[in-house]
Amino acid sequence: MFRRVLGKTLGFVGYTIQYGCIAHCAFEYIGEFVVCSGPSMEPTIVNHDVVFSERMSRHLCKIQKGDIVIAKSPFDPNVNICKRVIGLEGDKICTSSPSNLFKTHKYVPKGHVWLEGDNLKNSTDSRSYGPIPYALIRGRVCLKLWPPHTFGTLSESPTQRINKPPSNSDSD
Amino acid sequence: MFRRVLGKTLGFVGYTIQYGCIAHCAFEYIGEFVVCSGPSMEPTIVNHDVVFSERMSRHLCKIQKGDIVIAKSPFDPNVNICKRVIGLEGDKICTSSPSNLFKTHKYTIGRHLDKVIETQHKAKSASAIHQMKVPKGHVWLEGDNLKNSTDSRSYGPIPYALIRGRVCLKLWPPHTFGTLSESPTQRINKPPSNSDSD
Repeated sequence: MFRRVLGKTLGFVGYTIQYGCIAHCAFEYIGEFVVCSGPSMEPTIVNHDVVFSERMSRHLCKIQKGDIVIAKSPFDPNVNICKRVIGLEGDKICTSSPSNLFKTHKYVPKGHVWLEGDNLKNSTDSRSYGPIPYALIRGRVCLKLWPPHTFGTLSESPTQRINKPPSNSDSD
Repeated sequence: MFRRVLGKTLGFVGYTIQYGCIAHCAFEYIGEFVVCSGPSMEPTIVNHDVVFSERMSRHLCKIQKGDIVIAKSPFDPNVNICKRVIGLEGDKICTSSPSNLFKTHKYTIGRHLDKVIETQHKAKSASAIHQMKVPKGHVWLEGDNLKNSTDSRSYGPIPYALIRGRVCLKLWPPHTFGTLSESPTQRINKPPSNSDSD
């Protein structure tokens, strides 16, 4: 009788571990649901929004300028941050405020990215802690799921901080 | 007949995915085998040594000063580095160059490398000893082979989140099987002991 109970318990534990591992790998390689908090990405993402963050872009190194990413915080490995990619490795970032007469620039080092929140007045990002290593990025936010009236893909950056490369077409 | 083959193939694929996921989680949460290359950790770890790196310390935030860790390189997310932890967050590290050199180095590496080398030469001629505090959430890594190691002395402290695991056992070559020795360099600041000394 005890043997049967033990057998069933072990079987149950075995199934739990099995499906737990499959679920973990799905979240690791496909995508995960993220509940966002804080004001740093307003108006694109506000407090208590639920988004879907896909992992494939990060593993295939296909994160681009303008993408919103979830990354591990450089100051606390247990905390995640949600910011927009303003610059990739080698890009030139303007670090002076618009009111400054003299413009200062920084270059993003190899293997790093420059992140900024959409709510520039209320966001702690690369402007204070510098560029972060690409390896800290977890995934790319591709879809907003909640609240329902804002369901869909996310809008472009409302700030004018992303340097687009000059187009090749002639301009009059 | 075709249905049977399809059924067997799907079953095989299903089992592969299932056991692949279990193996992945074992490597992710228990430990992994690592083949080391490069001279930066000599004599503790030499080229082609195989070590076992356990993951539990990293997940439970139990990495300590003196541990050898495997971490993702801050310059290439696909490359891993193997170095010793010299300082944790809040620790003071003695560097022979000014602490603000790292800020310059971090932001201008690759594009302004000439400018950085020029600044380094100036610092060497001044030969001043500076102290740097490891920021919150970061660690200071150095190789045991200080003369031939690119580590935090050149790229600054790295975020704790880049650490993958702690090397606990050397597996190959067989005559060096066992735990790894303490740091041969005198770079780790031990806290002063509480006992009275004569």
